[in-house]
Amino acid sequence: MEKEEIISSGILELYAAGAASPEEAAQVAGWCAQYPEVAAELLSIEKAMEAYAMAHAVSPRAGTKEKLIASLNIPADQQSSKIVKMAPRFNMAAAAAVVLLIVSAVFNYIYYNKYNALEAQNKAQSQQLAQLNNHMTDMSRDMNLVRSKYSLPVSLNGLKDAPDAAAKIFWMKNTGEVYVDPGNLPMAPKGMQYQLWGMVDGKPVDGGLITSKDGKTYSIQKMKTFGRAQAFAITLETEGGHPQPKGTMYVMGNI
Amino acid sequence: MKEKSGCRILHPDSKFILPLPSNVKYSEEELVALLREQDQGAFSYLYDNYAAALNGVITRMVTEPQLAEDILQEAFIKIWNNFAQYDNTKGRLFTWMINITRNLTIDTLRSKGFKKQQKISQDENSVSGYGDRSMSAERFDSIGLKKQLQYLKPDQRIIIDLAYFNGYTQDEISKEMSIPLGTVKTRMRSAIMELRKLL
Repeated sequence: MEKEEIISSGILELYAAGAASPEEAAQVAGWCAQYPEVAAELLSIEKAMEAYAMAHAVSPRAGTKEKLIASLNIPADQQSSKIVKMAPRFNMAAAAAVVLLIVSAVFNYIYYNKYNALEAQNKAQSQQLAQLNNHMTDMSRDMNLVRSKYSLPVSLNGLKDAPDAAAKIFWMKNTGEVYVDPGNLPMAPKGMQYQLWGMVDGKPVDGGLITSKDGKTYSIQKMKTFGRAQAFAITLETEGGHPQPKGTMYVMGNI
Repeated sequence: MKEKSGCRILHPDSKFILPLPSNVKYSEEELVALLREQDQGAFSYLYDNYAAALNGVITRMVTEPQLAEDILQEAFIKIWNNFAQYDNTKGRLFTWMINITRNLTIDTLRSKGFKKQQKISQDENSVSGYGDRSMSAERFDSIGLKKQLQYLKPDQRIIIDLAYFNGYTQDEISKEMSIPLGTVKTRMRSAIMELRKLL
């Protein structure tokens, strides 16, 4: 029989209702093993029948369960002794499992705390390392600048408005790149910014704005490139700078 | 309570442990696995959840309360002792249990001298006098499905009940309902299809 035929025949229903002949019951068992669809159909039928039986349930008299349990003891001696024999093994296993669980929990707790501490430490250290790395990069760049055989240092000295101020220019003779070390300039007030000028044939040419990464210190930075210049100067301008110097000149130096 | 083997909580007289938290709910697979290991807690659960449904079948055929109780007990003892014979590839646990209960009830009635004819005639009354049955239905635990079941046609209810609750063979159903033997399967199918729609 095809599975569709089996399903529509009613034999599954008959089986679930308990009215199938032994031959039919054997057939159903075989089909269920062979066709998952048939097994699924039978399952649905059985669930429906189960619900039907539940809807017609009649509670047994009170005390029936206790009597049943008591009556099971006498013929159930074999099972009982089996149970008693097996019990210590299971209990040992259960006890061992509990002990292992507790030990495991304790270790979990310890290692979890350790892990947390180590993680925090690790995080702090990597931050420190990153900072040091940045620092190193800056330093080595600065060092290369200073040590380069092409670099021409130009000292810019303080003028009458800022006698203590000083700055240094590194002018790369081969490329014309200009680096400024404004480390000895006072921090520009809020809204103001230093601007570098190159004096080319007596006229100031914009050399770019000097910036501070953290608003507290100035580090060596690359400015605009000059092919030639006779002098460099730095003025304090309003933020954003100007095409021509307007503010106070702080430092100046001739080449 | 004495302790045996140092740790097992077995009562010296009652080797079965009854209490099981009522909120425990087993899946059919879990329940079967536990019963295969002869787990008493699972047996207790089995009783709590299915005794009333199985008793429903017994009380359909047995009117005498003491006899019904004895049959229910014996059915559970059979279920417990023969659990290894349950084959879950051949159907659900409940189907197996209700088959055991139904067969045991019929066998007991026979051995007590109730002739099959008597049983059938007794059932005839209840089948033909459908009003009587609904009266006895008052005793049944009420579930939502019960209300729904009124939508089943009487013929559909009768064919299900004759087989499922009264253990009629196909032959007996055919005679009882005056339908050809070949029609019993298809009638049963349409009745149970109708029942499934109500669920």
